[in-house]
Amino acid sequence: MHYRVIHKTEYDYSEPVGLSYNEARLLPRFIANQFCHATGLVIEPLPADYREHEDFFGNRVAYFSLREPHQRFVVTSTSEVQVVSQAGQLNLSQGTDWESVRLLLRQQRDPLTLEALQYALDSPFVSANAELAAYAQLSFPPGRPLLEAVHNLMERIHTDFTYDPDFTTLATPLSTVLAHRRGVCQDFAHLAIGCLRSQGLAARYVSGYIETLPPPGKEKLVGSDASHAWFSVYVPELGWMDFDPTNNQIPVDQHIIVGWGRDYGDVNPLKGVIFGGGEHELKVSVDVRNLGS
Amino acid sequence: MTTVLSEIKQNGPDQWYPVPPGSYDEMLNGDGQIRPHWEYAIRALRTLGMPELERRGTEAAKLLRENGVTYNVYGDPAGQSRPWQLDPVPLLVSSEEWGGVESGLQERAELLNLILADIYGPRELVRKGLLPLELLYNHGGFLRACDQIALSGKHQLVVYAADLARGPDERMWVLSDRTQAPSGAGYALENRVAMTRVLPSLFRDSHVHRLALFFQSLRSGLNAIAPATVENPRVVVLTPGPLNETFFEHAYLASYLGYPLVQGDDLTVRDGYLWLKSLNGLERVDVILRRVDDDFCDPLELREDSRLGVPGLVEVARRGNVAIANPLGSSVLENPGLLAFLPGIAEHFLGRPLRLPTAATWWCGQPKELDYVLANLDKLVIKPTDRGPGLSPVFGHLLSRQELADWRDRIRLRPAFYVGQEQEGFSTVPSLVSGGLEPRHAVLRSFLVARADGYVVMPGGLTRSAPHKDDMLVSNQAGSISKDTWVLASEPEKPIELVTRPTPEQVAASLSGALPSRAADNLFWVGRYAERAESTIRLLRSAIKKLYGDPDHSANEYTESLHCLLRAVTQLTGTLPGFLAEDAQALLREPEAELLSVALDETRIGSLANTLRCLVQTGYAVRDLWSSDTWRVMEDLEEHLLGTKRYVQPNLWQVQDLMDQLITSLAAFSGMAMENMTRGNGWLFLDIGRRLERGTSLLSLLRTTLPQQRTEAVETLLIEALLDTSDNLICYRQHYRNNMELSAFLELLLLDENNPRSLAYQTARLQEHVSKLPRDKTIGRLSLEQRLALEASSALRLAGMEELTAVAESGTRQNLDQLLARLNYLLVALSNAVTAAYFRHESAPQPLAPLRAT
Repeated sequence: MHYRVIHKTEYDYSEPVGLSYNEARLLPRFIANQFCHATGLVIEPLPADYREHEDFFGNRVAYFSLREPHQRFVVTSTSEVQVVSQAGQLNLSQGTDWESVRLLLRQQRDPLTLEALQYALDSPFVSANAELAAYAQLSFPPGRPLLEAVHNLMERIHTDFTYDPDFTTLATPLSTVLAHRRGVCQDFAHLAIGCLRSQGLAARYVSGYIETLPPPGKEKLVGSDASHAWFSVYVPELGWMDFDPTNNQIPVDQHIIVGWGRDYGDVNPLKGVIFGGGEHELKVSVDVRNLGS
Repeated sequence: MTTVLSEIKQNGPDQWYPVPPGSYDEMLNGDGQIRPHWEYAIRALRTLGMPELERRGTEAAKLLRENGVTYNVYGDPAGQSRPWQLDPVPLLVSSEEWGGVESGLQERAELLNLILADIYGPRELVRKGLLPLELLYNHGGFLRACDQIALSGKHQLVVYAADLARGPDERMWVLSDRTQAPSGAGYALENRVAMTRVLPSLFRDSHVHRLALFFQSLRSGLNAIAPATVENPRVVVLTPGPLNETFFEHAYLASYLGYPLVQGDDLTVRDGYLWLKSLNGLERVDVILRRVDDDFCDPLELREDSRLGVPGLVEVARRGNVAIANPLGSSVLENPGLLAFLPGIAEHFLGRPLRLPTAATWWCGQPKELDYVLANLDKLVIKPTDRGPGLSPVFGHLLSRQELADWRDRIRLRPAFYVGQEQEGFSTVPSLVSGGLEPRHAVLRSFLVARADGYVVMPGGLTRSAPHKDDMLVSNQAGSISKDTWVLASEPEKPIELVTRPTPEQVAASLSGALPSRAADNLFWVGRYAERAESTIRLLRSAIKKLYGDPDHSANEYTESLHCLLRAVTQLTGTLPGFLAEDAQALLREPEAELLSVALDETRIGSLANTLRCLVQTGYAVRDLWSSDTWRVMEDLEEHLLGTKRYVQPNLWQVQDLMDQLITSLAAFSGMAMENMTRGNGWLFLDIGRRLERGTSLLSLLRTTLPQQRTEAVETLLIEALLDTSDNLICYRQHYRNNMELSAFLELLLLDENNPRSLAYQTARLQEHVSKLPRDKTIGRLSLEQRLALEASSALRLAGMEELTAVAESGTRQNLDQLLARLNYLLVALSNAVTAAYFRHESAPQPLAPLRAT
């Protein structure tokens, strides 16, 4: 499927900002089943300095700084992306059981496994703990194939948790989300990652977009007005498999990946340190246009 | 000497030096005999006698204190800084043994350097299984933002320190590695300076290796890492600021090496380069000697909540436009879990085991090792692999059964975050304790710096000994005592000039060149506070003198002039309402308590004690810019200030005494500034501050006393007191005898440009000074500062005496009043203009509100 994504972020400041240093992770990274035809950022005011590099996780980062005094700061990223649907039907009940995968992760030293192992460790936003393990346990009986267990976990999160954009903020700890069973896609992704890590498995956070306009006759998907987030789990024989707990689905060709990391903190779409500015207001809009296949 | 030697032979050292059995002592061998390399020194010290040695120790302590050598202890309510403690008995190391230690340290530094380069480069060690991924990736010092950033030369680990101690097997062991921003080298140097002063002949005759070469190597090592395109790199020392525990050392090293001492907000990133906000504008910075913890260095890419860093710094390093020593992320090597894997890594990189042993360490992230640690917890030291507040080593043998069980649970829960380490017994060294020599456990911190051709080791280092017998934990925060470390050469070493304190040239360099704007700001305020303290003292002295001066208090004139002075005290110090309160009659009748408060109450803004506190604090923030003589005066002020806290029932007589001493110290301070400081920008700001303050103080005095016409008798008394206050009484009498007359007084104090205490003198100096301030020379007209100073100075030059003394119908001297008011306005405006033009009071940076994925 072919998409054009326009992601516009706008900050309005009550006082002028004289200097601003920023890091954007808005340019889709290069991956096998997603081809990025064109991508670019438009920044207002014009940055005094701009440079791109690849970060530790392989994501594309744009560093820039603004020196012109301003009260409005707009970053618009536009990307044309072709998503190749992942071939074939997955057979969830086949494949290695989750306990063997846990063991394998710690025994094999090949580059892929080592690369995956880092996502089994705690990260600033997601630490394994007893509560998460207890919630996950129901999905992870001994001997269950990994994919089936993860799929079940995704379904349970979707069923047990209420989508509620007003309940959580970025600072809401995972324990609160778990206790009140509410949150947004970011919280659900973190929750699933925490559950998987508490089972000794490797899971990472995926940041991206989901198709805005549903195909005729279908419901609009949640998470389409802003950037979206889901999670990915490491399956030794298949590699990384994505799951979207917010929409209870395994992404096929409606999800566009921007980047991934251990948690939200590693793929924050737009970071900044500003001098001045006073209070600020933030507006975000995302438009994902389907250009056909 | 023969007598002491025979005494040693007859009585044996065990009579005067009780070594606990079974422990290795640096001075005595197993048979209780003095080791050969200690013989000479210990004989000399014993000949000197313990009382004399104690006296020398006290002298050394005094020297260190006067040089302002301090160590700040976090959370110490008693005050910010604590004097540095030095035991006059040095630790001696023979040349032969040092040779081995030196090459062992060099080898270890080379290995750690290779590991650091690998961790932020190919990470081959992880792929080959020589370093567990969990151990590395779980450590807070592993900064992913710094991945693939490398210094251009061979060395990533530029400065390195290792804590050494002698184990029971008589070999030197490495206890821990310091790779983030090792501190202590400056203290080692100060200790050495003090020792050579208090034990000069012993030092000379002992043929001690000198330290100066090490600091030359540090300089060339820092130059060597600069970006390749730079010819004369600018190096700065980055400090977290005066509240940091080792701020003294940051200032000391900056001044010793001749580098500007900067804080994060003195620097800014622009166009991919790092710049120092100096008075002359932005100046490129090429190398940072870093004393700020790495994760605090950049709020954009590292810790967002840091106020100590520079936003964008990581990006500048990534582009290779600044070299940071040590590089950001180097604290990853301080992970104690690494020690468990060093042998394998050494084998991999060097093909041989390390020469210096390390305490056996078991990382609990592995099942077998975990079992071992849990089974032997009571014999091991438990160390967290990560850093952070409250994460300090725990000694298993000191734990109760319950505590051991708790620790086992804690470790089982997160095994990858702990190591168990064999507890080594360290050797003891003779230490001077209450008049005799006693053995104390000690740790030696040694320092290395990378030069292009390899690591250079400081010959010696900083020895710290435990304050109590049998105490094994040695740390500055816990109150250890330091020692100089003497590596004894077999023959005398050619003395190298050891520059022990900033030379006038160095001070000049740091004052004229890139003076950080913040430093200029501080100097300006040092000038203002010093002058404010002085004028407060002078006025308080006059008021007290008047209060106690005349037995005939009943005379109305006298009382009126006294009250007038008391009101001036409130006005000048700004300690309102005070004597200016509407119902101040009672206070005016019994002014003692209020005067005491204005003098001594440090919590009261404007009081003398408060002003002095501000002076010392502001001066400390630019500690690197003062010569040691000047700093000694600052220390005196601090002493006096502390002295006031000891008054049981303070009275004004004591205050007068105190103020007499203070005025001498303050005069010494301004004298030093006048005579010892080169007339660079730093001095200009100091003196602008002083002149502005002297001007506004004088204006405040004159405005509260003169415009209102009073009876001749009162005015005579007032003029006399004002002359006394401004230290002009003698001068006045020489010119005008005892004839107290307003016009003569105004001539001397307001208009006479040759009188350093007159207002005209201040405005004339200000006019000169502001014209010398750095500014854009292409602009043809006068700057705002110049215009203000010019107007003030001209107003005084054009003033006519007859108009000034004329009294209007209302009974006031309107013209005088207006002139004084205008001048006051101009000086305040000038102060604001200088502040706005030269000092950067930017708001603190704030993070952008983050986007959330919904």
